Amino acid sequence: MIAGLHLTRIGKDSFLLEPSQALNIRDQARLLDAIAGALQQKRAVCLYYDLAGQKLIDQVYYAWLEALARTLAAVNVRMVCIHMQPTAAFALSVFVKGKPCFETALDIPDNHFSARPVEGSRMS
Amino acid sequence: MNQKLSEKLSALFNLEVGSISTLLEEPGRLHFGRDGLMDEEEIVDLSAEFLNLMAGLLGAKNPKDRNCPEFHALEIFFSALAQKVLIRGGKVEEVVRYAQLMQYTLIEALEQDSGIAFTESRSVLLYFNSLFNELIMEVFRTYLAERERVLEAQEAELRETSTPITEIWDGVLTLPIIGTLDSSRTMLVMEALLSRVAKDHAEVVVMDLTGVQNIDSQVSHHLIQIVRAVQLMGSNAIITGIQPEIARALISLNIDFTGITTRASLSDGLKEAFRQMDIHVSHKAS
Repeated sequence: MIAGLHLTRIGKDSFLLEPSQALNIRDQARLLDAIAGALQQKRAVCLYYDLAGQKLIDQVYYAWLEALARTLAAVNVRMVCIHMQPTAAFALSVFVKGKPCFETALDIPDNHFSARPVEGSRMS
Repeated sequence: MNQKLSEKLSALFNLEVGSISTLLEEPGRLHFGRDGLMDEEEIVDLSAEFLNLMAGLLGAKNPKDRNCPEFHALEIFFSALAQKVLIRGGKVEEVVRYAQLMQYTLIEALEQDSGIAFTESRSVLLYFNSLFNELIMEVFRTYLAERERVLEAQEAELRETSTPITEIWDGVLTLPIIGTLDSSRTMLVMEALLSRVAKDHAEVVVMDLTGVQNIDSQVSHHLIQIVRAVQLMGSNAIITGIQPEIARALISLNIDFTGITTRASLSDGLKEAFRQMDIHVSHKAS
């Protein structure tokens, strides 16, 4: 059980991660293990990270996103950040010079919208 | 001396408010009535209110104190008057001339009513001069604040109309930028554009710089920042119409164009946007 971590299967091999305010990104090692482990177990190929609730992304949060994206890349899972808020994009564009190691999209593609929670994957 | 004077004037105002008020209506008629800025009823109310406030000040503990509430009330009266006249299309000169005429009319009316030769009293004239100078200053302060507000509103409107963000196709936003880009305008463009991307779920943004003649180091960095922010939100940004001088300036400023799509013209940019979205636009088969 990890507080603030909601993982839902969408489609065949994609998952949606909706972090809540309770998610403690300082507990990085534990979070990375849990997320990568769960996705690997479910044979996921893509993780959509929902940033709708993140009004501001600072360097600490960006480092967390990068660490997660790199870890998932190591287990062959693409990470796509969705619903990035204008304020967060503006803040990020100030200090991110190159291309981030995660992908970005406005939303989850339409063909993934048969969302259903997977038993045991809800971690809060 | 001043204390005595205030008591006399205050007592006089308490007794003769009605008759003096009528005399004070003339400046209002002259400056606001002729041009139709105020109707007769308003002019009567105006002079009555002025007289009440003036009586309050002259009857105050220290009528020379510029921090007393009675003086502040007079300042507010003239500020509101200036605002009213300006909003109705009058000129600030009208309010200033009204205040000056009010000063002379007031002294004469007091003299006429009380039989005391105020116009020959240096201290009384000095007192009213200094008082009305302060009130005229307040009129100018109001005028300047009003002008500034109007200019700011016009500037904002101009900025908005000079950076029209249009959804030219479902999911395609175009932003033609015309004129000189400075840092504050670039930031406004960025704010407006990112909000529109989120609101319209725009997949591609085409920024056309054909109308931009000058660009400096800071602004070019801001432009790249806009493109990066759009990309971070999950959209694609295409920059079109970069003039040769702008291109040269960007290169000499070592601006990194990696991962940024550019096209020669807005039309090419739109074609690229359609290509990215897998949209095919063709002539109707005859």
